[in-house]
Amino acid sequence: MSRTARVRLFLCAAAVIAVAYTLACTGLPHFGAAVHPYGARAVGATLKQRTANTISSINFDQRAFDTLGEESILLGSVLGVSALLRRTGSEREARPRPVRVLPSTSLFGVLLLPVALLTGVYIVAHGQLSPGGGFQGGVILATALHLAYVAADYRVLRRIRPRELLDTLDAVAAGAFTCLGVAGLVAGAAYLQNVLPLGTFNTLSSGGLVPVINAAVGIEVGSGVIVLLAYFLDQTIGTESGDGGTEPNRPTDRDEDSPCPT
Amino acid sequence: MNASDLLPLAVAVPLLGAAVFAAVGRLLPRLASDILATAWALADLVLLAVLWHRANGRTLTNWVGGWRPHDGEGVGVVLVGDPIGVGMALLAAALILAVTVYAWRYFAEPPSGHPGTFPALILLFEAGMCGFALTGDLFNAFVFFELMGAVAYALTGYHVEDPRPLQGALTFGIVNSLAAYCSLTGIGLLYARTGELGMAQIGLHLADHRTDALVVAAFVLVLTGLLVKAAMVPFHFWLPDAHAVAPTPVCMLLSGVMVELGVYGAARVYWTVFSGPGGIPAAAVHEVLVTAGVVTALLGAVMCWQQRHVKRMLAFSTISHIGLFLIGVALLNAPGVAGTALYVAGHAGAKAALFALTGVLLDQYGSVDEHTLFGRAVRLRWSVGLMFGLGGLALAGVPPFGTGLGKALTERAAGADLAWLPAVFVLTSALTAGAVLRTAARIFTGAGATPHDGSDAQTRGDHEEPEVREPGRPVPLPMLVVPGLLLAACLAVGLLPGLGAELARAGRLFTDRAAYTAAAGLPAPAGPAVSATAGAAATGTGWTTEGVLLGALSGVLAAAFAATALWGPNLTGTTVRRLGGLAAAGSRRLVLPLRRLHSGRLGDNVAWLATGIAGLLAAFTALK
Repeated sequence: MSRTARVRLFLCAAAVIAVAYTLACTGLPHFGAAVHPYGARAVGATLKQRTANTISSINFDQRAFDTLGEESILLGSVLGVSALLRRTGSEREARPRPVRVLPSTSLFGVLLLPVALLTGVYIVAHGQLSPGGGFQGGVILATALHLAYVAADYRVLRRIRPRELLDTLDAVAAGAFTCLGVAGLVAGAAYLQNVLPLGTFNTLSSGGLVPVINAAVGIEVGSGVIVLLAYFLDQTIGTESGDGGTEPNRPTDRDEDSPCPT
Repeated sequence: MNASDLLPLAVAVPLLGAAVFAAVGRLLPRLASDILATAWALADLVLLAVLWHRANGRTLTNWVGGWRPHDGEGVGVVLVGDPIGVGMALLAAALILAVTVYAWRYFAEPPSGHPGTFPALILLFEAGMCGFALTGDLFNAFVFFELMGAVAYALTGYHVEDPRPLQGALTFGIVNSLAAYCSLTGIGLLYARTGELGMAQIGLHLADHRTDALVVAAFVLVLTGLLVKAAMVPFHFWLPDAHAVAPTPVCMLLSGVMVELGVYGAARVYWTVFSGPGGIPAAAVHEVLVTAGVVTALLGAVMCWQQRHVKRMLAFSTISHIGLFLIGVALLNAPGVAGTALYVAGHAGAKAALFALTGVLLDQYGSVDEHTLFGRAVRLRWSVGLMFGLGGLALAGVPPFGTGLGKALTERAAGADLAWLPAVFVLTSALTAGAVLRTAARIFTGAGATPHDGSDAQTRGDHEEPEVREPGRPVPLPMLVVPGLLLAACLAVGLLPGLGAELARAGRLFTDRAAYTAAAGLPAPAGPAVSATAGAAATGTGWTTEGVLLGALSGVLAAAFAATALWGPNLTGTTVRRLGGLAAAGSRRLVLPLRRLHSGRLGDNVAWLATGIAGLLAAFTALK
């Protein structure tokens, strides 16, 4: 297809989709309606489980099976990236050069890195009580570590980032979530059932299984994001092609007269 | 622990395996890693077999986390294992085991420092497929669907030394992700209207409204993600590009079961969510999907015949068969579902075997090009060649292969609906099988005229990276045993007594919305019960004379097509010349433009994706 034909085809189709979707949206319930069937049920179930944060209760208790799938997607993404960005025969390790950083930037990093780490831990640990939880806190933890890269340079980040360990930690945390589900079966209940003592409402130990799964997810997300970024950074900063240039991009033959480079 | 607890475990076991491989894979020697992966795959297969046996043709349900609904209101996720769903999971687990064994000696050197990556990804893929097949919750289905996808993109691009796999994986990833956003948007619309995420629950609440633009848009958007995965025309453009470049074991999984899961998902979502009052009228679904199925089957067959790159050929053959499966489920009756289920099982065996044998060619000759390999694999004639030919016959649906029985049952159900549909089945399966037989004869016997390269550019299959780094070694035993066993399984599907009857029952259960709703612990749906048996023919469950004859006809036609391609150029005479001229003109007028459409450009793929969505929206809006 020529470029103009392609764009025309797409625009015609997009117009049809836009009209249909707009019409569909007119059938949605009005904004701010007082009745929300699912919300009412979920909040009720949350209070019954003595969990203060409804979102965490939905994520790690009521619909924990969804979350199990979601964090498996993260594990799969980390594994996939590690397979796709592995060092091939034509690439070798490059030594990242030290970079000059403004002293104020360094100071900022040194001061804020521990603060950011602490914030991440807090957000993970209080997931069952207040907004936040394993996913959000894990991302903050990973971001905190990368302050070292912003405030110093890549060599410093490498020194404080035990990649092999984090790789293993990521997998262990993912496996822990799966195993925590079996606890329910062992106790004679259903898979992923919240069988731990529920504790007192609005205290750190409340919510039974929720804080435990929350912690596993926090560790998995934190280490997973660090490892993901590590592969990407290594690919761009820590690797050079063996032949000094980029890989020759061979054109691919297709059912088309003119092979197109992507 | 009762039988229904096995439902979540069918997902948890492979997930745990993936975590174990990701954690300790680097510490294991190669042999230990292979043995552990095989044991793990076998464990999940055994678990699902026990589940199938314990369910005994009934529907098992499991509320994960014990969140049973009270008075029809709940907040949890339900897993529903009806025979068709458990059967799909069982099929996925069987293929995963086959692939694990096949890959024993396949990757001579796993990625440096990550020996556990491949088995871990394969097990995650299995968890995604099992979860998708067994869930009764729309959002949960989406999650497992995405798990399948994310892992499949990585597996497709596994050979990173070559830019082509990365390109194929990128197209696959982007097109399927866009489609997944559509599905999520559709789920959002349904949730906004009903406040529910369970399939049966949404279906119940849709009855409170009439069928309006929101329901149509939601139906089309949810189906888009599933049909893109199923590679229905015009959503199919990603599939040949991904299949041609993915590692062979991955192709076996993609073609054998993942693509079929898209069709399964579409059928499941229709029956549980949209088949009642306030949903989508059956006539509309029937008309649109049967039409799409016929177009998909024909286009796949024509394009399959045109290929010389063997993996691309098999990919187009998969597209053609997907069209036939679509027709089968779009008949919207129990016999159609039962026949299609049997057909899918048989096809998985045959297609995975053919891909596995193609992997042997790649391993031995570093090429999968029909013309380059002409007459080169004569020494493998009685092992690989024979199995390749048998695989071709199985694709044609020759009795007593399982594909033949599945095709016969689906054909009969389709013929009761529209008299000309069986012709589509016979013709398309003959064309795709003919292409396979033609390839087998050329590569393994050097039969016929030397193939000449056409004037138009084609996708060639040489200069492939050999996937194994030890040239000149004998063919590893697993690479011969696995395709043999897969073909035997395809045969067994056709010959096992009672399987047809069991699947006929399963089809009735699959199309019974009231039974599904009751199994999910909900009140019976209001309104008239949708009778799935309306318009159904007398249901047979085994071989009939007509079925055997049509299967044999497909086989004979396939052989005739192959013979024409092989020896046609050698014939002389005015009639032959005239026929040759006609064929060339037809090819120039019809086939070349069709091939030009398959440009492999990402932009084209996205434009076609949008066109397909717009087409479906227009069709269902007109027919609702």
